[in-house]
Amino acid sequence: MENDNAPAIVFDHVSVTRSGLNILDQVNASVPRGSCTVLIGPNGAGKTTLLLALLGEVNYRGNITLGGGRGLRIGYVPQKLALDRGMPFTVAEFLSMGIQKRPLWLGISRQARKQARDLLDLVHATHLIRRRVGTLSGGEMQRVLLALALQQNPELLVLDEPSAGVDFEGGRLFCELLEDLRKSQGFTQIMVSHDLGMVAHHATCVICLKRRVIAQGPPAKVLTGEVLQTLFGMHMGLICAQDHLHAMPAGSGHTASCGELHHD
Amino acid sequence: MIDLSWLFHLASLFPLDGMDMRFMQQALVALVLLAPMTAALGVQVVCYRMAFFSDAVGHSAFAGVAIGLVLGVNPHISMPLFGLAVGLVIMFMQRFSALPSDTVIGVVFSAVVAAGLAVVSRNNTIARDLQQFLYGDILTMTETDICWLLALFAVFVLFQIVAFNRLLYASTSSIIARAHRVPVALFEYLFAALLALVVMFSVWGVGVLLVTAMLIVPAAAARNFARSAGGMFWWAIVVSLTSAVTGLALSVQPWMGTATGATIILVCCVWFVASVVVLAVRNERQA
Repeated sequence: MENDNAPAIVFDHVSVTRSGLNILDQVNASVPRGSCTVLIGPNGAGKTTLLLALLGEVNYRGNITLGGGRGLRIGYVPQKLALDRGMPFTVAEFLSMGIQKRPLWLGISRQARKQARDLLDLVHATHLIRRRVGTLSGGEMQRVLLALALQQNPELLVLDEPSAGVDFEGGRLFCELLEDLRKSQGFTQIMVSHDLGMVAHHATCVICLKRRVIAQGPPAKVLTGEVLQTLFGMHMGLICAQDHLHAMPAGSGHTASCGELHHD
Repeated sequence: MIDLSWLFHLASLFPLDGMDMRFMQQALVALVLLAPMTAALGVQVVCYRMAFFSDAVGHSAFAGVAIGLVLGVNPHISMPLFGLAVGLVIMFMQRFSALPSDTVIGVVFSAVVAAGLAVVSRNNTIARDLQQFLYGDILTMTETDICWLLALFAVFVLFQIVAFNRLLYASTSSIIARAHRVPVALFEYLFAALLALVVMFSVWGVGVLLVTAMLIVPAAAARNFARSAGGMFWWAIVVSLTSAVTGLALSVQPWMGTATGATIILVCCVWFVASVVVLAVRNERQA
């Protein structure tokens, strides 16, 4: 039987080299099971590359161990979708293509349509079911992509800057939605974000990446001026965020702790 | 050989002058089989942005025939097999090369065209067939070709039943599809193989120059008419099939006397213009 306290993901000396350039250099990190782990770092720090290595999309050296093995159910939400916006492709079809055996040119089955509606309900976007995918706004698209990922009944949800291109309020609502879903469905969440306010509010574990791991641990311990200075090369005013963190309750009961602050 | 007389008898019932002649019946049957295949695959070509791929495979037709003739292989066999090989080589190189996709296709495209021309330039008898491949001639389809087309059609229908949803998934985002456990590579290779074979058969009908049009124009018109992905599939088939039959009927009229392939594409283009008008009106109403 698998140990419930074992990390969901362990990155063990993971390195990625592209055209002679070290994109990731000996990354060692672990993602606690049931956590909301956020990768932060400047542009070019290798955050997206680490997620792609996790998904098996880029070649890497080292080991990535998934608790549950390669058969782990993964849901993936990309930053954006390079879709032809004029394609006649409805949200109902988008959410049926992965579950319906019957080809979509024979129509959407009643069961698939119900499942699509249920998924949209989960992400508070039922009203989008008849819309064309190409006409969705950035925020609406993120919800539909999240619904598609949730269709996998994921044990691990991987998100690459899900709030990019979404306004402040939209980003906040999306993060709250994710937190509710993570607590109700019990999946582990790993995501990239540039929004340090969101990280401070919602993350249970933070991995600071700049080709290698600068620090990792709970946000209250990691998001210090010193770490952020190393990470972004400038002093960051996070006093308010830290005050807020101190006022926040510790991680929810079922969430594994993120471990102590760790400096490489 | 399968007895196809019932099929040709059906074709002879089509109300068009000259349908009592076997070559006209064969042409009609060939077009009715080819048109839905190019249309449906065209939808996927548009989704996958693979127009250049199909163009490269189409242009390998002449090299396939030329190499077949040099090696003493029936061109009706060497051409589809060569096209299939070219399609799979492109897919393989795209997957394992760091080069951009269109660069890979451009290199293979150049190689097959140059190979075809090199062989032709040494042999004048082959050169005489060049025109047939450039413009196509559906009226030269043989009964054996139609047997192969029927087999290909059966594979095509099976493929569209099994693969349509998965290919749609993969064309939306191959990374999402792979993360969500869709066997993307398998379906992409199968799609490329089927597309290559259909393109090669289409070359007989409409010629190298117009084969991509046979894939793209019905799909482009369908994109404007349809309101869903499933609808786009059917609209493309309607546009392609009606264009094929109308194009054949028009091209054999004494007052037209045009090449069948070119006439079919022109009818497709009329459909496309109509679709643009329909889309504009629809957008106007929604505004």
